[in-house]
Amino acid sequence: MSDSLISLLTALGDDELILGHRHSEWTGFAPHIEEDVAFSSIAQDEIGHAAGYFGILGTLTGDDPDHIALGRAPEDYRNAVLCERANGEWAYTLARHWLYDTADDLRLEVLESSAHEELAQLATKMRREERYHLIHADAWIKRVAHGPVEGRTRLEGGLSRAFGEAIGLFEPFEREDDAIKEGWLPTASSELRRRFIDRASASLDELGLPTEVRAGVDEAAEFVASSSGDLIASGEEPPGQGTRSTGGGGRRGVHSDDFRQLWDDMTRTYREHPGATW
Amino acid sequence: MDVYEVFRRSGHKDPFEHCGSVIASDSEMALLMAKECFLRRREGQHLWVARRTDIHSFKDESLLEIAADKSYRFPEAYRDVVAKREKARARAREVGAAAGESNR
Amino acid sequence: MTYEAKLGGFADHIAQGGKVEAEDWMPDDYRRGVLKFIEMHANSEIMGALPERECLPMAPTLRRKMSLAAKIQDEVGHAQLLYRVAEDLGKSRDAMYQDLVNGRSKFHNVFHYPVFHWGDVAIIGWLIDGAALVTQAALLDSSYAPYTRVLKRICSEEQLHLRHGEHITMELASGTQAQRDMFQDALNRWWLPIIHFFGPKSNVAKDLLLRWKVKTRTNEDLRQEFLDRYVPKVLELGFSFPTPVPTRAESGQWLIKDEDIDWDPLDAIKRNEGPETERRLTTRRDIYQGHRWVREVLAEPAVHAA
Repeated sequence: MSDSLISLLTALGDDELILGHRHSEWTGFAPHIEEDVAFSSIAQDEIGHAAGYFGILGTLTGDDPDHIALGRAPEDYRNAVLCERANGEWAYTLARHWLYDTADDLRLEVLESSAHEELAQLATKMRREERYHLIHADAWIKRVAHGPVEGRTRLEGGLSRAFGEAIGLFEPFEREDDAIKEGWLPTASSELRRRFIDRASASLDELGLPTEVRAGVDEAAEFVASSSGDLIASGEEPPGQGTRSTGGGGRRGVHSDDFRQLWDDMTRTYREHPGATW
Repeated sequence: MDVYEVFRRSGHKDPFEHCGSVIASDSEMALLMAKECFLRRREGQHLWVARRTDIHSFKDESLLEIAADKSYRFPEAYRDVVAKREKARARAREVGAAAGESNR
Repeated sequence: MTYEAKLGGFADHIAQGGKVEAEDWMPDDYRRGVLKFIEMHANSEIMGALPERECLPMAPTLRRKMSLAAKIQDEVGHAQLLYRVAEDLGKSRDAMYQDLVNGRSKFHNVFHYPVFHWGDVAIIGWLIDGAALVTQAALLDSSYAPYTRVLKRICSEEQLHLRHGEHITMELASGTQAQRDMFQDALNRWWLPIIHFFGPKSNVAKDLLLRWKVKTRTNEDLRQEFLDRYVPKVLELGFSFPTPVPTRAESGQWLIKDEDIDWDPLDAIKRNEGPETERRLTTRRDIYQGHRWVREVLAEPAVHAA
């Protein structure tokens, strides 16, 4: 009964862990000191959310949450590719932060009525923190969009890079159909994806940002398995041959080169000392 | 006329604390009023007034709550260091004894 | 009032334990001295974030990942407090940052060294923060009042960091041999820099900051307090010190012989030629200069969409 729940929790927890890890890499280096402090809290929140998901997961599988977080092989992580991308510059981080937290809000909203009670309660608790994340992200995006031209141009660049891959947050996870049938996830990823595109597009229009920043998004795309087993969006070229990334693959453990380095750093201490306590 | 919020500080080491408010037409008069209303018994050595409309706050202060577990930011989370210290000392004795053994 | 009369009044005020606020009259060399001192402290907090930041990705548990992030966040927060205090003495944050990233100002010696593994986190969190707390607590009665007010908060957070660092250390010390080796390896590398951290013997006659009571205790006095407090704690865990090895005097004090201290590495660091100085400053400079646009955005009040 719980395989689909495990699959759901793994995807959710990995998104939070990997994005939290990336966010935390700004610590000490953010372009503004007060923002350094603020962004660190957001990173801590995301890692805390991962701990929450892995806590529930641990009760199902009997695994230690730290082992779930740090003790898996790279191909066993199910985060969306968006979350693992290197930080690049602040504009990309900001674009990703805004897209992710917008998506996460929609996701948590439906998880609040998950049939799994503990997950539903966790979603409610996390959504309170996400509310601040959204206020933070919105305030920044607005300021940059309405501010000096250099920032606006960079933001457009960041959004163009991130928006297409943000769709990968709604790539169906393994056994999603079962998870929906059981009510663990009350709303299908395809429907959440539609809501996300609508909401994010409306906000960007309101900010007067050019529609080109959404060029990477194919609203009609469906994630289907290609002959090679990689997930691609229908109507598009397979990755590598095509013009744009749908950000898919992560939910099946297919990750970018950026992930490899991250995984290597993140799991090093844990991996090198099996059985140690810290 | 504006509302001026009044803050006072008893010494250089302390932060300013809010102690009340006065209604005045400008800061000069607000200070004069506040002096006798709030510091006539040496309650402070420093006085500030600030126009209330120049003070800002979140409309929804529930934002300031800490929603999820942040216990690691508080000293209570590290209280068990005392027990850990004991454990480490015991381990040191064990390691020391083993070293003595092999040196024999 | 003549300058000499003002100066005399100021000197008397300080001698009697009086405090100075940013808006008070102060001699130029007091202002310059305090500014330089607090600026270096602020620089050290923001540069001090980097060694631990380099260890953050390899944190061995989720909780350590969050608590180390929170600890570094506090250090950045200390930089925020201190830069604000320094700014009120007449130098903008941007000017201080430009001087920092271009190597024209200084930061504490310990943040010029590399980190390799989780043992470094233990040493930084326990012994380096322990050393910093000894020096900072001694400043709580400084004559410059705005500094003492932020130090109150800084010291209370440092107390927490010390606990956090000790917590990590005790876990390593009671762990596997490999974990104990991590701590010993880090101790071997960090011990001399920690001794350097307190600086050479103070020249009481010449030290303006001591005369103006900005600082209240000498370097050697602070180092002694640190040694007496921490050397026994390290030894009882079964670890050993590299040169300069502390020895116990009949008085019970833990002493280090001056001739055992090699000062050359500290001299190199004073010229901004430490092992990691160039790399860390370059990274910070590149990010800072590449993100001027962010500060331009923040400099403008929000324009609300129609």
